[in-house]
Amino acid sequence: MRTRPSALVCVAFFLLSVSAPVLAHHGFSVEFDKDSPLTLTGTVTKMEFMNPHIYFYLDVKGKDGKVVNWAFEGGPPNVIYRQGWRKDTLKAGDVVTVKGFRAKDGTHLAACSTVKLPDGREVSAGSGGVSQNAYGSAAAPDGKK
Amino acid sequence: MRAITKNFFRVPTVCAASLFLILPFVVACGSHAAEGTPQPAAAPDLNGVWSAPFTPDISKTLGHQPPFTPYGATRFAKEDEIDDPLTKCLPIGPARGIQAGIMPFQIVETPSVFTILFENQHTFRIIHTDGRSHPKDLDPTWFGDSVGKWDGDTLVVDTVGLDDRTWLDTAGHEHSDELHLVERFQKVDNNNIKWTVTFEDPKYFTEPWSITLPITRQNTEIMSYSCEENEKDRAHLRRGKK
Repeated sequence: MRTRPSALVCVAFFLLSVSAPVLAHHGFSVEFDKDSPLTLTGTVTKMEFMNPHIYFYLDVKGKDGKVVNWAFEGGPPNVIYRQGWRKDTLKAGDVVTVKGFRAKDGTHLAACSTVKLPDGREVSAGSGGVSQNAYGSAAAPDGKK
Repeated sequence: MRAITKNFFRVPTVCAASLFLILPFVVACGSHAAEGTPQPAAAPDLNGVWSAPFTPDISKTLGHQPPFTPYGATRFAKEDEIDDPLTKCLPIGPARGIQAGIMPFQIVETPSVFTILFENQHTFRIIHTDGRSHPKDLDPTWFGDSVGKWDGDTLVVDTVGLDDRTWLDTAGHEHSDELHLVERFQKVDNNNIKWTVTFEDPKYFTEPWSITLPITRQNTEIMSYSCEENEKDRAHLRRGKK
């Protein structure tokens, strides 16, 4: 086992309160717009718990009734694994609310900072908009303090 | 847990296997080096998994921009994060690997080599501590040629022969293949190392400059990482950092 049970209690608490900036292989600001925050609620269609970032997809119904499939990028899987995430933390069919920041290219892609899970917990996805990395050092979403 | 581990290791298996297969070879080569003398048996034990604070802009730690030459200043002004070698999944480089923050590294110490295994991209540094000198003719490589010597509780590491494609940080501080690194890994106690790195590069900087970061022991193990496994970002990256 990579993480001791006692440590899991700590990371579970950690999950509820903080999140980490993107840093696996690119800076935040080269892809996402910190001035374009969004909050979307929808149904999970797919989860990719893979390197260099996790991706999950959400069907979101717009005001016009049209459904758009959004892609959300989170942190590297090993980083958020240490924060308590598992590959089945999000499952197809889950209805969740996601906070994040839109991609600069205007596509239906966003960096995910937090996810409100079906059980009501709001957890960090390790990406964007927040204030701490996995080891507690302060940093803005673009990696600049 | 098994399922997660299986998933993590599915694609990077070759990379990970290469890393750990090469270690015994390197250790063996180091222990039979003709020149030099292995480090004393009483060298401080720094084995374990460690991490330093994520340092995406090295000038913030320094308190100001490095002492650029005119060429270095021009290069930095033009640089854009989209050109970061990490966005192309290229190796992180020796000092930036220490500063990666969210991804820890493991130190594996033997009498003749001091090895740093980076979780980031599963790259590694071999620091020879058997008393050898740098080779006379060096082709630049991603992690250069490193030799180390113990000075009491401090391992002093000298690195040259670095490929100029690595960056010093995410902010776009670059260097040439004349970069010379001197690092000091000072054991403070069993859980803390004081790391000081000095950057010397006459093409980019008018004088040597240094930063110091705390390195702390982590209650974890280094895990798998493959930059290419599900890379989807490159198509969305946009210029315009500065």
